[in-house]
Amino acid sequence: MSDIIVDVAVIGAGPAGIAAGVGAKEAGAEKVAIFERDWDLGGILQQCIHPGFGLHAFGEELTGPEYVHRWISKAREAGVEFWTNSMVFHMEENGSFWIMNPSLGIKKVVAKSLVLAMGCRERPLGALGIPGTRPAGIYTAGTAQRLVNMEGYMPGNRVVILGSGDVGLIMARRMIWEGAEVLGVYEIMPWPGGLRRNIAQCLDDYGIPFYLEETVIEVHGKDRLEGVTVAKVDKNRNPIVGTEKFLGCDTLLLAVGLIPENELSRMANVEINPVTQGPIVNELLQTTKPNIFAAGNVVIVYDLVDWVSMEGERAGRNAALFAAGKFKPGEKKIKVSGGDNVRLYSPQWLSGQSDATIYMRVTQPIEKSCKVVVEPGLYEKRLRYARPGEMNEAHVKLQDLQALGDVDEIVVDIKEV
Amino acid sequence: MSEERRIICTACPVGCFMIAKEENGHVVSISGNSCPRGEEYAKIEMTDPRRVFASTVRVEGGALPVCPVRSKEPVPKDKIFEITKAVAHVTVKAPVEIRQVIIKNVCDTGVDIVASRSLPTKQSVELVSQGG
Amino acid sequence: MSTQYYDIIIIGGGIVGSTIARELSRYDVRVAVLDKAAELPSGASRANSGMVHAGYDDKPGTVKAHFCPKGNEMYRNLYEELDFTLNKVGSYVCALAENEIPHLNLLLEQGRKNGVPSLEIISGDELRSREPNASKDIIAALWAPTGCIINNFEAVLAFMDNAQQNGVELFLETEVSDVLLSQDKRQVVGVNTNKGLFLSPIVINAAGVHSDEIAKKVGDESFVIHPRRGDYFITDKYVGNLVKSFFFPCPSEAGKGITVAPTADHNLLMGPTSIFQLDRDKTATTRDGLEQVIEGARRLIPSIPMNMAITTFAGLRADPDTGDFVINILKRPHGFVNVAGIKSPGFTSAPAIAQHIVERMKDELKDLVDFKPDKNFVPERKHIPRFAYLSMEERSALAKKDPRYAQIVCRCESVTEGQVVEAIRRGAKTVAAVKIWTRAGAGRCQGGFCGPRVIEILSRELNIPMEEVTRHGGHSRMLVGKTKEYWFREGM
Repeated sequence: MSDIIVDVAVIGAGPAGIAAGVGAKEAGAEKVAIFERDWDLGGILQQCIHPGFGLHAFGEELTGPEYVHRWISKAREAGVEFWTNSMVFHMEENGSFWIMNPSLGIKKVVAKSLVLAMGCRERPLGALGIPGTRPAGIYTAGTAQRLVNMEGYMPGNRVVILGSGDVGLIMARRMIWEGAEVLGVYEIMPWPGGLRRNIAQCLDDYGIPFYLEETVIEVHGKDRLEGVTVAKVDKNRNPIVGTEKFLGCDTLLLAVGLIPENELSRMANVEINPVTQGPIVNELLQTTKPNIFAAGNVVIVYDLVDWVSMEGERAGRNAALFAAGKFKPGEKKIKVSGGDNVRLYSPQWLSGQSDATIYMRVTQPIEKSCKVVVEPGLYEKRLRYARPGEMNEAHVKLQDLQALGDVDEIVVDIKEV
Repeated sequence: MSEERRIICTACPVGCFMIAKEENGHVVSISGNSCPRGEEYAKIEMTDPRRVFASTVRVEGGALPVCPVRSKEPVPKDKIFEITKAVAHVTVKAPVEIRQVIIKNVCDTGVDIVASRSLPTKQSVELVSQGG
Repeated sequence: MSTQYYDIIIIGGGIVGSTIARELSRYDVRVAVLDKAAELPSGASRANSGMVHAGYDDKPGTVKAHFCPKGNEMYRNLYEELDFTLNKVGSYVCALAENEIPHLNLLLEQGRKNGVPSLEIISGDELRSREPNASKDIIAALWAPTGCIINNFEAVLAFMDNAQQNGVELFLETEVSDVLLSQDKRQVVGVNTNKGLFLSPIVINAAGVHSDEIAKKVGDESFVIHPRRGDYFITDKYVGNLVKSFFFPCPSEAGKGITVAPTADHNLLMGPTSIFQLDRDKTATTRDGLEQVIEGARRLIPSIPMNMAITTFAGLRADPDTGDFVINILKRPHGFVNVAGIKSPGFTSAPAIAQHIVERMKDELKDLVDFKPDKNFVPERKHIPRFAYLSMEERSALAKKDPRYAQIVCRCESVTEGQVVEAIRRGAKTVAAVKIWTRAGAGRCQGGFCGPRVIEILSRELNIPMEEVTRHGGHSRMLVGKTKEYWFREGM
């Protein structure tokens, strides 16, 4: 049983992984292979059948499958190898990993460098500690999306949505179009989790009520879900007594957050940032293991797939340089810190070798003129607002960084002006 | 008759909050947009609101039982449910090719419903997974 | 509906029913186990702490004190024979204040009298040198090295699976509505259920939280069960290594208190509460209960990160008003056996109780059934391969033999399609049953990824439409129909 030997191995054929494959080929890597657990390529985008992807990358609004189709074509033209039905289930500290494939059995893959592109998963109900029973009819929005859009089944008829992440908003409209009733979207925070345009076109268009600072406090029903109790919450997100309301429903969809999927990264002993829950990377998307790169939602959860693809391509390029022995390890290690109003950001350090894009989310929304800054004096851009549900970015030019001389820490922040 | 409407732009993910003023059936001003696309969107939204329709159709013999479809262009908002129903009644045979027309001129909108992915036959996928 | 004839009917397929079933399968007798749930274990055997207690908690001389250490010893031998997971990790009872020290001494003394080996009281510092995450407030602890953590799902399945291999028949979704007596009411003749009549001269009441209701049907009102709910949290495996052993606080009137322990599959378990309730089936957690769990758990292990919680659940203990296990063979009606109120340390005691009650039945009920040993009894059984825990060579060999063992279903717990199919072959009919058998859906995403796949495989293997697949039987259907159907309805 011989091992599979490649130059650059990519784990996951979602948008980040496919772009990484393209990037690696562009940078000259010879044998680039993407390992995908599904029979199909594209990952979660294949179930995101609504338009809204690719405005940045292709200048038009595509559906998920259309967006991914373009990238698959690009990757095939570039000569990227795809291994489908190939689940990576174990990884060693040196980055070698093991796949299972029904026709090949269990195989070891040895690569000169690799790109982690496993994406993210959804937070389940259990993580919220919501009391009550555990009947059938409780699904994460993404699972419901798969059932409806790829398998053709209805998870329920009378739906309450908890959390206002984008997938939940999209599914509200999708369920309406399939004849279901959507009683409302309940968001515990004072601001929406998803994009404003999705609230407009998915909720407002269909008169679906949207409640901020309200949440589900109990689940009812022994066999199938029979209803949920919702209540308003106070500043500490505790339910306010007297505001409880029972809603009869057979389905609860959860859109309460996405978590980068880093089981394999942990097996390889790649250092994980506790806030983003993704690998700590530098601007070249290199993790704390020099031969392992990471891109996309496995690093930090993005709003837009266009950015995921862009980062994927970058990770692929650098992985290819590493595989070819042309990757110069950074001489410097500049720590990136988050300011008071930055909840999470990536990368967490810069190697001082190239221009850098830093992605971040604010802790508190600022609904007036504000600015994103990288101190000392590396970047400043005015914003009309900053919202936790909408990612922001900052760009640091290498020459500016070099001009600073001996700096070992820079700070990103978003503040009022 | 003058009217002021608040519109959230859906032309791109920024989602600008716009205010459009209408007098005697004519849009007289639009504010709050941060790009020309927003202005365009608001004008259409005031006069002929449109949305891209995206759903699935049933497939016979496909690797999946349904295939995603979309309206090639935005369709009138008030025709969405009519289109949904028309699409629900269609079954196509695998394989399906991306951009394949599923319904021409759906509900007389002048817009085609097209497949938004390629879907191979069930058989071909099983062959591949068996080591093809 | 049909009538079926057996020698012995066991009502309830929890740890009590399944250990008795397995014990009886050593004999050439026809045994049927009836359980109203759609999968085993249900009830208290499903939702508990997964602890095999050492046996120091109970007053010497009580029935509990008699069976608990014995049961502990039996599990330590049985887990290899029956292939269920048992981790010999030991347990600590922690004293958080000076006035709790006498309690540790009492437990130590009780334990020694009950025959528990190697008990020892250690200092707080000694504890922390072994378990660095233990609270600084713990001043001393009773160490019981024979305490074990068990996969309670696997254990019940193992006893029942082995019993079935040896001829016992299991009927799920079969609820007993009546226990039938002879006309003179002196003799048991069987039970009536929603699936028809099951006639037998011996009926064993192992109905857990419902056992007093069953006893009442034959006129036995000697005990009453008060359901006592326990709420629990389970965390992600990432923090399962916060503790190596089982942690108890000092026990109180309400029970053994909120504990912290690594589960058999390396998650962290916190709980249970101890809350009386009237409803005997409602296993709903409450906000207060869950808050109590967090507070209690943090007293022992302050650094537990609650953002690592992946699920919560509640179980109902069958707490008898007698204060002790109810194990007896009634004189009247003849043929009726109670094994009831088997509350903590019930799971631990069960195999010893089973052995004991079968010995008594052989003597006291020999006029009803001929307990002839079954020469073909096979004591060993194998669980479904646990892909996650196999070596690469073993995985490779499995995948070569059956490619379905190279097709992932549950990512979080590394469960393959081969395992799911095998679980269904062994009787799993619901999503919950597949989870109990294989752990598919028991991981950090709680079935988000594998849910649709499990539904699909159940539908395919059971040859039923996707819409008929249930979460846990009854009306718990996972899907309500196909997309597009709405637009075909009349008037649409």
